[in-house]
Amino acid sequence: MTAGFDAHNPPFDRLTQQEIEEVRAALDIGYFAPGEVIIAAGRSAEALHVVIKGAVEVREGEALQDVLGPHDSFDSRALVHGAAGEDFRATEETLCFLIPGEIVRRLIARNGGFAAFFYSEVSRKLDAFADAHRTDGVESVLRARVRDAARGRAVFIDGGATMEAAGRMMSEADINALFVRDGGRTGVVTGMNLSKAAVLRRLPLETPVREISHFDVVAVDADDFIFDALLAMTRHDKRRVAVRDPAGGFAGFLEDIDILGLVAGNSQLIPGRIDRARGLEELGIAARQIQEQVERLHRQGVKVEAIAEITSDLNRRLFVKLFELLAPPPIREAGCLLIMGSEGRGEQTVRTDQDNGLLLAGPVPETELRMFREGFSGALLGFGFPPCPGNVMVSNPLWSQPVDGLVRQLRHWVLDRTPEAAMNLAIFFDAVAAAGRPELLAEAKGALIALMRGEQALLARFANLIETFATPSLGMLSSIMAGVGLGAAADEIDIKKAGIFPIVHGMRTMAMDRGILATPTATRIEALVEAGAFEAEFGRELISSLRVFMAYRLRSQLAAVRRGDVSREALVRPAALSTADRDILRDAFRIVRQFRESFRNRYRLGSF
Amino acid sequence: MSPHRGLAWRLFWRASLADHAYRFLFEPGPEGEAVSLDCETTGLDPAVDDVVAVAAVRIRGNRILLSERFEALVRPEESEAGAESIRVHRIRRADVADARPMRRVLPELLRFIGGRPLVGYYIDFDVRMLDKYAKDLLQVKLPNPQIEVSALYFDRKYGNAPPGTVFDLRFAAMLADLGIPMLAQHDALDDALMAAMAWLALRDMKARGARIPRARGSGAGPPPTGG
Repeated sequence: MTAGFDAHNPPFDRLTQQEIEEVRAALDIGYFAPGEVIIAAGRSAEALHVVIKGAVEVREGEALQDVLGPHDSFDSRALVHGAAGEDFRATEETLCFLIPGEIVRRLIARNGGFAAFFYSEVSRKLDAFADAHRTDGVESVLRARVRDAARGRAVFIDGGATMEAAGRMMSEADINALFVRDGGRTGVVTGMNLSKAAVLRRLPLETPVREISHFDVVAVDADDFIFDALLAMTRHDKRRVAVRDPAGGFAGFLEDIDILGLVAGNSQLIPGRIDRARGLEELGIAARQIQEQVERLHRQGVKVEAIAEITSDLNRRLFVKLFELLAPPPIREAGCLLIMGSEGRGEQTVRTDQDNGLLLAGPVPETELRMFREGFSGALLGFGFPPCPGNVMVSNPLWSQPVDGLVRQLRHWVLDRTPEAAMNLAIFFDAVAAAGRPELLAEAKGALIALMRGEQALLARFANLIETFATPSLGMLSSIMAGVGLGAAADEIDIKKAGIFPIVHGMRTMAMDRGILATPTATRIEALVEAGAFEAEFGRELISSLRVFMAYRLRSQLAAVRRGDVSREALVRPAALSTADRDILRDAFRIVRQFRESFRNRYRLGSF
Repeated sequence: MSPHRGLAWRLFWRASLADHAYRFLFEPGPEGEAVSLDCETTGLDPAVDDVVAVAAVRIRGNRILLSERFEALVRPEESEAGAESIRVHRIRRADVADARPMRRVLPELLRFIGGRPLVGYYIDFDVRMLDKYAKDLLQVKLPNPQIEVSALYFDRKYGNAPPGTVFDLRFAAMLADLGIPMLAQHDALDDALMAAMAWLALRDMKARGARIPRARGSGAGPPPTGG
């Protein structure tokens, strides 16, 4: 007997069999007539409702937030926190399972994964979701191919060569094992074999390697799963297996440490590669690897803020190295390389654009400057950094000039009334000094803050940029539009415009207002909380909401990269999300709307 | 169909009630409550066939109290389930070999039902089945008012139909019209549950004066069949 209750429907999929039975035994079914208010905003609920059939509107005041359908549940806030955030009203004849609040509260206390669904704070919800996804990382590693992990390349030595020659060959190629050709057979000699032969058996270094090699080579195919390689390693008690290429030859080795690299990512190897790069070509390889690790880290369930931090750190090293490679001595001595926009805030993961510039202490030779401008931006373009649509790049003379000139330019922008001017100020305010003389940036930023700090009229104009995009309700876009057949295009939310930008720009404005110099949004929020701009709890909610948006955007970006079309990278289709995902996005949008309202009041944006 | 049993009839049976411990059957049930009920049987003839499973769910207002359900497998004493009926409800002889006979199950069921009206799809059949045992045990028939879901459905859909309209009163057709999910049919509890959901929807439609649209020019649909 199932009585139609679907235990695979989240969050119930996180319950044990016994807990499911407990729920089934306590279920009731409620019928609601069209128009009937099921739970009113501010009221508590005695049961968790799970829609069986029908549709339930979620309204905040008159604004439609969402339309719930079969399998959706509501309302955790009314149940756990004693007050619903919105009105829940049946739009048509609706049947719901009713799970008594007492049972739900008991399960929340007992089952952490289930409880996550009911947390009111976005931050706690997000943590619990991250835990739930963590297992995917390990699984995906086991499903990766050997070719994705194997790093030691195949180097061959003749069986008659000496142990000493083998040792030197390994050292030069920076590997720990060689393939040994000996007549018709192929064997392997490892660094450990050499050490044991020399130290323990005291064999002379002239001994031919064939005498210390083994010829029962354990091999896997490059196309095999990592899982197969792990099995082979375990079965043969080896920490290294040979990798066969599709043609039947040997392509290299796979070591246990390589598999570890798949789990943890190989980010730790990239800085060395950047440092060692001797030219643009080698630096380009490192640049590609930075981008590749984003997807890998994401697949392994690394949190988006950590991915952004690792990526930003690596990108900065890359910029510094590129600056060192390309800047002639006069620019290196007089210049300060600026990284701005999302890169400056340390919030870029998948590359969407480049915002950079150059500040100079004074005039430098024109020819050298021109060559550097072209060389630097051109190289980044070649590395896969798309050009900045607003042309905020070293190649633009406006963004690579002496500090006095830029300060004049900033003053001009401050007084200009166009959104473009405000956007330029915004991008600049996020600048960090990546290489060269940081005091130049400090001077220019100091000048900007001196102009803006506490100047309510100027700040208001700057703040007004936040009104560029609306923050929609999830419901407006999910069920309704799809229902009236407006097609797929209407059924999407641009998460960057609707979620990320309002928080980022809001914090930027408030930081400018108070002369806060930190650039990362999360750090700005913490500083604003410190300065008493808002409650610590609301600050936490803002940070978590930003991370929610960044996480969903990253997901959508990676999908866009795989599709090969990044023009729609920030679009999320609520209808394609699970209930749990929509729930968390709805909460995050709620925080943004709440913030925008107080922000609007603070800077009197209604008057624009 | 006999949706209501008359007052005189109730008085007669009340007078002949053998065991006065069951007098509650003749008292009206709690205000706003009803019980949806369904039996699975060894066949379709109440005179010779037996109940093998029975389920009942209380309804209070607009709420189906699934958590207070009554469910029992029953070992038939007079007949055995034929191959045909086993195919329908999938309760094999072996499944009920250890179950209690109806004379043991019925007192519990009657206490669960009390004086509440009985709701069902062709409820008359289920009640006639139970009457057989009730007469043995108490020398009475079940006096509860009956609420026939198919009659309400007929009224909402065909009540104003022109002559010559072909009626389709099949359970599945009714559920589809009402947008009620199809649970495992011929499971006593699921059947009782679906009938309860259908009743709540139909009762609400009636209160609102809403009707179920008929497909225009629908040809000869399949004929109605029994429960």
